[in-house]
Amino acid sequence: MSGRDPRWDVGPDALKKISEPGGKCDDPVAPPSQDPPNPAPSAPDDGAVQVQLNWFLRAFGNERWQFITIPLLSILVSLIAISIIVGVMGSNPINVFITFLQGAGWIMKPVYAGGFGMLSDLSNTLAAFTPMLFAALAVTIAFRGGLFNIGISGQMLISGFLASVIVGYSGLSSFVAKPLVLLIGIVTGAAIGALIGFLKYRFNINEVVASIMLNYILQYAVSYFINTRYLDQISRQSRVVSPASTLVLSGIYNSKTHQLMVSNSLPSVLKLGDIQFLVPICFVLAIVLAIALQFFLKKTRLGYEIKAVGANRRGAHYSGIRVKRTILVTMMLSGALAGLAGVSYYLGYFNSIQPDTLTSLGFDSIATALLGAAHPIGNIASSFLITTLDTGGTYMQSMMGVRQEIAQLVTGLILLFSACSAFFRWRIAISRQKAEMRAYEAAEHDVDTDLVASSQGGDAA
Amino acid sequence: MPDTDVIVEMRHITKRFPGIVANDDISLQIRQGEIFAFAGENGAGKSTLMSILFGMYQPDEGEILIRGRQVDISSPNEAVALGISMVHQHFKLVHNYTVAENIVLGIEPATRLLGLIPYVNMRPVNKVIRELSERYGLEVDPSAVIEDLPVSTQQRVEILKMLYREAEILIFDEPTAMLTPQEITYLLDIIRKLRDDGKTIILITHKLEEIKQVADRCAILNHGKLIATMDVATSSTRDMASKMVGREVIFEIDKELARPGEVVLDVQGLTIENEHHVDVTQDVSFKIHAGEIFAIAGVAGSGQVELADAIAGLSAVKTGKILLEDCDITHTLVRPRTLKGISYIPEDRQDVGLILDFLLEDNLASKAYFRAPFSRRSILQRNAFDSYADDLIRRYDIRCSSGALTMTRSMSGGNQQKAIVAREVEQDAQLMIFVQPTRGLDIGAILSIRRRMIEERDKGRAILLVSLELDEIMAVADTIGVMFAGRMIKIAPADQMTLDEVGEYMMGVKQS
Amino acid sequence: MSGVNTIIIDGLALALPLLIIAIGGIFSERSGIINLALEGLLGFGAFCGALFAYASVTLHWFSPHSMIPLYLSFLVAALGGSLFAVIHGLLCVKFRANQVISGVVINILSVAVTGFLTSQINVSVFGGPSSKFDLMTAPRLTIPLLSRIPVIGAIFTRFYAFEVMILVLLAIFWFILYRTRFGIHLRAAGDNPQALDAAGVGVARVRFTAVLISGALAGIGGMCFAYSILSNFSAAIYMGYGYLAIAALIFGNWKIMPTFAACLLFGLAQSGANQLILWLKMDSSVGDLAMIVPYALTLILLAFFSKHNRAPRALGEIYDKSKR
Repeated sequence: MSGRDPRWDVGPDALKKISEPGGKCDDPVAPPSQDPPNPAPSAPDDGAVQVQLNWFLRAFGNERWQFITIPLLSILVSLIAISIIVGVMGSNPINVFITFLQGAGWIMKPVYAGGFGMLSDLSNTLAAFTPMLFAALAVTIAFRGGLFNIGISGQMLISGFLASVIVGYSGLSSFVAKPLVLLIGIVTGAAIGALIGFLKYRFNINEVVASIMLNYILQYAVSYFINTRYLDQISRQSRVVSPASTLVLSGIYNSKTHQLMVSNSLPSVLKLGDIQFLVPICFVLAIVLAIALQFFLKKTRLGYEIKAVGANRRGAHYSGIRVKRTILVTMMLSGALAGLAGVSYYLGYFNSIQPDTLTSLGFDSIATALLGAAHPIGNIASSFLITTLDTGGTYMQSMMGVRQEIAQLVTGLILLFSACSAFFRWRIAISRQKAEMRAYEAAEHDVDTDLVASSQGGDAA
Repeated sequence: MPDTDVIVEMRHITKRFPGIVANDDISLQIRQGEIFAFAGENGAGKSTLMSILFGMYQPDEGEILIRGRQVDISSPNEAVALGISMVHQHFKLVHNYTVAENIVLGIEPATRLLGLIPYVNMRPVNKVIRELSERYGLEVDPSAVIEDLPVSTQQRVEILKMLYREAEILIFDEPTAMLTPQEITYLLDIIRKLRDDGKTIILITHKLEEIKQVADRCAILNHGKLIATMDVATSSTRDMASKMVGREVIFEIDKELARPGEVVLDVQGLTIENEHHVDVTQDVSFKIHAGEIFAIAGVAGSGQVELADAIAGLSAVKTGKILLEDCDITHTLVRPRTLKGISYIPEDRQDVGLILDFLLEDNLASKAYFRAPFSRRSILQRNAFDSYADDLIRRYDIRCSSGALTMTRSMSGGNQQKAIVAREVEQDAQLMIFVQPTRGLDIGAILSIRRRMIEERDKGRAILLVSLELDEIMAVADTIGVMFAGRMIKIAPADQMTLDEVGEYMMGVKQS
Repeated sequence: MSGVNTIIIDGLALALPLLIIAIGGIFSERSGIINLALEGLLGFGAFCGALFAYASVTLHWFSPHSMIPLYLSFLVAALGGSLFAVIHGLLCVKFRANQVISGVVINILSVAVTGFLTSQINVSVFGGPSSKFDLMTAPRLTIPLLSRIPVIGAIFTRFYAFEVMILVLLAIFWFILYRTRFGIHLRAAGDNPQALDAAGVGVARVRFTAVLISGALAGIGGMCFAYSILSNFSAAIYMGYGYLAIAALIFGNWKIMPTFAACLLFGLAQSGANQLILWLKMDSSVGDLAMIVPYALTLILLAFFSKHNRAPRALGEIYDKSKR
């Protein structure tokens, strides 16, 4: 075990590990080191226990639902915190949140500029959502395999760059170009993931350090090539990729004639009543992949192996799983998802690459995955939330005069409170234990009030 | 008995944990300068009671008097201030610090550099420790680094720690669990010396022979209740045992003579090195036949666990060969070995044998999840997991709150072990490896696992048992191999060796 | 000035701030708390220091050419860094958060908070929309005689005053970690917290203090970058030196002197690569390729040395008093 770096031990199981007080049963001091004399006092006493639980425990005590209830609690707490900040700054928090939603296209704005409508805003949010969900899934699968992929940004960048160079600047038709872009994204991402896995496999290099180093190496390498070959002198970014290669379609919806038109690029002239919007092709793919990932983790052999390695490497090795190979596969899958995030970001949400910059999305996605409880379906919800805050911010600033950066602050606070989720779970487990103990004693000793009082005083576990 | 003699008095101590009363109205007195033992099975409440005395838990009811004064011990620090000290089962030592640094941890002597800046100066400490060590015959070098020391020496470091802090009441929690018979004798000598020096000793153990050897008085706990306090000199071991378990105890297990068949496992000249490239076993050879229990005895760290790991495929072999039914498996992976017929109950059941954050059914199928009926075309068949787990839970009497869907971490240690045993026995393997299979279990569970081993032997399987408990080896083994410092120094039929002989080989005193 | 001199001068100017951040990381990690938050801590520390310096100049708190704001701003940066580290300490020590996650969250939060506050303060206090605080570049010093020594003289040439401060801090914190009671407790907390607790020392307090120290040192490191490479405070401070410091301390096996060596190697590799491009008269865009050198070198060296790395035993472990 020496030489092992606990940076490995992340993921939902690491979270869970600490939420069970007194779990070690071999331990002579840990209280329930034998079978309770009265078999399973908690099961038959459920009725009695229920009475003792307060509203808080009822709402958050059910472990099955904690993956939803606890993030909701974090969101609620941080919204309250932000309301206070915004209120102190002299704005009405309710209006701030409404303008966020309006900006992101979930609610109608009172007025729209020509050519725009709620559909435009919403489709923009979905286009931003798509890479975020891919990236969050990339973090999630690594998490579940006990790995920490902090290199999403780098993997996104190189995938987006290669796809731009190979397909984006070619004249390929969209039927060839779009699938090819996806393929390049997957392969490039998987290759970088595999490299990180290999460095860990072969040289015991901590994946966090390797990812960080690779992030920089990729960032500067890509910048070099963009600056020397693919630079647009005016925008100081890489040249814009061809519309055929991007993973979004442009749509026009005429609100007067109810005509719908979807194509690779916008027509130059808009008619009266036209509303332009984006069709993020990968949106559906991302949702499907999230569901597929959930099935994969729960119902497949490889999913079982990845989770086993994530939860306990030595245990997995003992049961015959090839741990190193599984680590490699996990990193490849994570990289492939990051690659998809990269192409849907650089050839979808944006159509060019800014040199010398890693997108913060790669880091934000770690937090998004955490907020989604490292659960693929939870990621869908958390990605919606985070992208809504992101895309709604500009409109909110213009309407409310509250600085747009507050959006990041909201995100940051939500994450901060989610990071405490282990603490919430632990507190809940303890209070539940105490409540159960009281109920148990009450049942056994015919409600001896002295007893209950004294057991409250004793701080067990 | 004059009251002035009493140093510790506990009155009506009750301590509850969810679903269990760990200590139920316990009252007792411990006298200055005696060796007072607590006996009881695992979970009888003896450790909890001592944890209360040491301030790690607060009692729900009752009071404690030290030297006649009522005290409220709310933390170990306060216990130490009252002169109470404890040697825990898991030593509390910083592994990369020296002996002296560990002993003074928390009360480091500071000197002032240039009369100004305080820094830690170990020189005077080393001298004090050396003197203490000599006075009680502890043979500890204060400048040695903990990780280089054997377990028995580490234990003596813990004793030195108490002496350095001038503790008067010394609590030992299962101090002999990890020691060889000879080391036990040495330790008991030290304990007597401490008593003769005026210290009060509290000994927690479930080994009655030790109580018989050193203790003056003994309290017997069962299911949280104090059954009796007795003078050791006037009580018989059998009497104490029946009080401890609450019924007459049958120590013996009925066992017919072995009828060994073909060679199942053939280990030839095995040398294994650890991650630091140190050889942990050297040139080990032995054979196990069908229908034979081959038990390896040895001090902890003699290479026996590494040997078991290597046979099961968990670690690599440097030189030598492992043959399973004439098939060379020296370099095959874990999975093919499992399929060829090796089952393995590892020493570390929580970190190796189980994945604690998996459901019980996932753990019960962890050696078979990849094949039918659990997996078809790489898709897991959940109902197969369910029904298989339900079957095992019933047949092996595994207690768990939500059946197959219980989170393994929430189960008790004994039931976790039952789950491992169930899984491994069900594999129908030709060779079964049991490492420390009964450690930490209560007598009922111990007997049932030992019987299971013999049953499986009688079915014609080859069984490799690695145990630190000599009693266990003597009770079930057909053949005993003794390992010392990585070498197999003696192999003989079990009925041709006495317990003392095995102990001498284990210490390397006797060579064959 | 020769190229070799430049390599040494620039290399030290990068290596030393990196070192002080890494020492902060060592304090936290040797006490058992993983600290991926260094990036955020150095950013927040630099924000506080820069705000102070900028305000004191803009609002004329001191006479125009006074050096006091410069020196005080390091103190403010240290305080700011440890203030932000309180969050990491609370999350990891009290709220039982996963330490890796806590670190990432703090980094994100730091970018958000400093970005928001910088813009907001510029608008509402200094009356101009800007997303940065402009600072002067710290003055450079040269020691007359010593600087004439060939090669080695470069060490005494055109160095920032804060480099000296960092070397002094290096000595102080080395002494604290290895020679004082607190240091002994700190390292014990990262190896076997149960033992420390049994010896009557509060593990939580030791770890919390260690995290605060790491925040202070990271804040000082961040301030160095704000005064040298950037000469302002802006979002550009988050260029990943916090992560680099973590790589350096892992490379240095969680020990101060080897980590010093790792930082030197890194700084010199960076400045060496830059100098090479100058010598070869290559296009400035090749500078990007030069930037790769230190990272690639680190990765390659890690491949050779990672096998022998030993993290503190209890690193990342949540200490639970009731669990033994």
